[in-house]
Amino acid sequence: MDTQEQELEDIELFQKHVSDRFTELSSPPEDDALLSVSWLHSLLDVFLCCEAEFEAILIMDRDPSQLSKPPFDRLIPEFIERAVKALDICNAVANGVDSVRHCQKLSEIVISALDQNPLGDGHAKRAKKACLMLLSAMNLDDKEGTHVKATERSWSFGRRGVNKEQIAGHFRSLSWQVAKNWSSAKQIQSMIYNLVAPRGAEASGLPSPIYTMNVIMIFVMWALVAAIPCQERNGLPTHFPVPKQLNWAHSLIGLQEKIADEWKKKEKKGMSGLLDELQKMEKLAQSLIDFTDSFHFPGDAEKVKEAAANVSELKEIFGRMDQGLTPLQMHIREVFHRIVRSRTEFLDVLEKGSAPVL
Amino acid sequence: MDGCRSGVPTYEGDLHVVAAAHHIVKALGATKNLSDDLRKILIDLDSHLSMITSNIDSKGGRGLVDVEERLDRAERKIMRWETDPMMIWDSGPKEASDYLEAVDETGKLVDGLRGLSVHENRKQKEILHRAMNILQTAMSRLEEELIHILVRHGQQFEPKSMYSRSIRKDIVYDESFVSVEDEPTKETSSQNCSNDESGECIVDLVHADVIPDIKSIAKVMFTSNYGPEFCEAFIIVQKEALEQYFSFLGTENLSIENVLKMEWTCLSSKMNKWTWSMKIIVRVYLASEKQLCNQVLGGLGSVSSYCFLEISKATILCLLNFGEAVAMGPHRPEKLLRLLDMYETLADLLRDIDTLFSEEAGSFIQLQFHELLERLGESAIAAFKAFRVAISSNGCLYPFAGGGVHPLNKYVMNYIRMFPEYCDTLNLLLKNQHPGVADQVTKPDYGPDTSLLTSCPMAYHLRSITSCLESNLHKKSQLYKDEALQHIFLMNNIHYLVQKVKGSKLRLFFGDEWIRKHNAMFQQHAMNYERATWSSVVSFLKDNNPGSSSMSKSTFKERCKGFSIAFEEVYKTQTSWSIPDPQLREDLRISTSLKVVLAYRTFLGRNLAYTDDKCVKHTVEHVENSLLDLFGGSSRSLRDSRRW
Repeated sequence: MDTQEQELEDIELFQKHVSDRFTELSSPPEDDALLSVSWLHSLLDVFLCCEAEFEAILIMDRDPSQLSKPPFDRLIPEFIERAVKALDICNAVANGVDSVRHCQKLSEIVISALDQNPLGDGHAKRAKKACLMLLSAMNLDDKEGTHVKATERSWSFGRRGVNKEQIAGHFRSLSWQVAKNWSSAKQIQSMIYNLVAPRGAEASGLPSPIYTMNVIMIFVMWALVAAIPCQERNGLPTHFPVPKQLNWAHSLIGLQEKIADEWKKKEKKGMSGLLDELQKMEKLAQSLIDFTDSFHFPGDAEKVKEAAANVSELKEIFGRMDQGLTPLQMHIREVFHRIVRSRTEFLDVLEKGSAPVL
Repeated sequence: MDGCRSGVPTYEGDLHVVAAAHHIVKALGATKNLSDDLRKILIDLDSHLSMITSNIDSKGGRGLVDVEERLDRAERKIMRWETDPMMIWDSGPKEASDYLEAVDETGKLVDGLRGLSVHENRKQKEILHRAMNILQTAMSRLEEELIHILVRHGQQFEPKSMYSRSIRKDIVYDESFVSVEDEPTKETSSQNCSNDESGECIVDLVHADVIPDIKSIAKVMFTSNYGPEFCEAFIIVQKEALEQYFSFLGTENLSIENVLKMEWTCLSSKMNKWTWSMKIIVRVYLASEKQLCNQVLGGLGSVSSYCFLEISKATILCLLNFGEAVAMGPHRPEKLLRLLDMYETLADLLRDIDTLFSEEAGSFIQLQFHELLERLGESAIAAFKAFRVAISSNGCLYPFAGGGVHPLNKYVMNYIRMFPEYCDTLNLLLKNQHPGVADQVTKPDYGPDTSLLTSCPMAYHLRSITSCLESNLHKKSQLYKDEALQHIFLMNNIHYLVQKVKGSKLRLFFGDEWIRKHNAMFQQHAMNYERATWSSVVSFLKDNNPGSSSMSKSTFKERCKGFSIAFEEVYKTQTSWSIPDPQLREDLRISTSLKVVLAYRTFLGRNLAYTDDKCVKHTVEHVENSLLDLFGGSSRSLRDSRRW
């Protein structure tokens, strides 16, 4: 049958595209290191492309009643449910980008403090303060309960605890939360739940691209959560149950394993996001703290030179964040809306497909 | 020594540079149309240049000594506070202004020293370094003072007091459509926020007395390029205050997943809460926050709007997110009114939002508001359509016992009774609908009697809805085997329809013609009922030979028996029927009575000779009284109620 052949061809093409796109993501050019801001942009683009192709295959020119029969009467609603979970993750990550923006702002203070010639003790102090705040702003994952409001501190007793580092360190924006007791790690976990690759006859039919799209959606959300600090990432799963023999999945699995390795390493030390720029910023902030700690005017020439190099690297990172973070939020918003639309499309299809023929 | 030495070679060169700079400043100062900022900068520059000149003019080294003395004085004033446990701004206005003066002085010295060429002058470098350190200490301290002031003098306002004027009392119909079979009992009246067009209401989020203090700290910090630290501290405290207030209002963050799964009554109250919170947060809190930012940071360029955006963003996005989740949800009919509330609230607030977030950086919030508004509108229309579908497809399996007013009728009429409140919004939304729907709407064929209201989109749709309802009721009536009951049912229900329309603002939209038509309808059903029930009964009492004086006894007996049996049958059956409306019941009884009792009396009267026979089971009075028992709702048998 012509349409069936066409369908198989379309599915194959789709999966080839998926494979190609993820292969590209696996070997990014110099500037777009894995999990950098621009790499994330590319990742989101890949998602949007794949999703568009996926919708075309599933919905365009198709009799809706086909998708209401088994196994689609289970597969489509499952997909829609995962899509809804992805929406909450988009929101969590978008909030997280705000906290990265905050880091960027703090780094600006560090830069302007240290970008002085000659460098004085005052500048060093200023820079150190900002670096400390930067470090604590990066580790925003903490669970509830450690939240201490600035207003609860006894400011009125004068200098006790009137300390910006302490406020910022404990400041967990309430509206930064997606919801009380919500956990991005658990959300990813529940998206992975029940994800089963199609077998036998199903593997060569429509269930296959549905599975593929599920995997892509989960991967993208997972990578975002790993990169950007957001609510409660403790316990983020590091393993995806994707069978290795699937052709299109090789690059994706490779990426996933790489990122998972990084995650496991970082998990032991603390929870700042794996975002490349954040990681670099963290290292720089740490070494600048060491520098400012030991600095006394006019300072050791070698060390000052090294610090200057760090500052200029920091400037570069700042620049990349400045350019890329707001667009990243917009991009996530775009993905959010696409998922909403896609969900509506599929709901419509289900409704039409199950409507009794009058 | 050093100072003297370095003074000479550079001294003249410096003078020239300074003189040239002075010229430029004067020239610029003479320009008209200088902005306040620019003018201020020029004034500062002028004073710095003067200071430099005076320093250079004074014999070389002595200038520096002067500077050093000034620095010492400033340092003492600043450093003494580092060991003082008190907060400066708590200690009194004089202490505060002294401190600021000292900091300002230090800043000037730093700028001045920087402005001097720093060639080989170690003493200069030392003083500069010292000054910068002192400045850093001061800035750090000012940060703490700022936070202290903001926290200590921060104020929260009572939300209810803000919306005490013209509170609109809505009868909110929260019953879910699914449970229509039950008696709808829940009619809660909720305090809806006023549609207060007068807009904002500004409160002091920070006590007005300390605003000048905050302003002066801002000025000093920004002048010394410590603006980022000021913003950081300011934003953190204000943001936290806003979020505390947010949770104080009882609004909570909900994940989209949860909202989509939420059960109706819960969701309904959250939607209501949202409507209320939105108004308070946007019109009162954010408007006040913006004013605070302007008061404190106005004149510093885009800093004010930057701070405002950072303070308010997360909360606003959280509110918007709830709206999106609601708009995404299943479009069930019961959601319609609440969706319209949310839509109207958002539409009302658009202007405020556009004003609050008018800068480029805030434009994405504007955009999201507008998008959400659109989506809510679409959602509302979808719910509206679903309402109609739900009416049409409401189950018709079992006949409704008693023939009274069907719960579907009650639900629909009580629900649409509230639509006029949303007339403007519904008209707007319905107009934007795709044209296909308009064709399905019944066009009124009322002549010159139509007013504007009866021909607006909402009116068309309302009539279409009741038309749907009527169709469904007709279908339901077919379930009765008894034709008379069919008519009772339809009479009851159409009467109810008309009463609801007449008794509310709906009458303005349905128009007199519609009312007249439907009055006629239920009256027709009443007549049909009478015909169906009583024609055959009364036929026993008919006089076939009007000319002759009387009938034979056997005929009479037969007729009497026939009448009794028929009457008793009707009695047994129709006492269990129901006509809920007392007036209607009364009218029908009277009408029936007139027919039946009269016929019976005439019949008996004509055959007086036989009336004391025991074949006459019932007296006229008895028949008359028995008729009063009809439509009581519970079946009785005539034997029970026999009154001799």
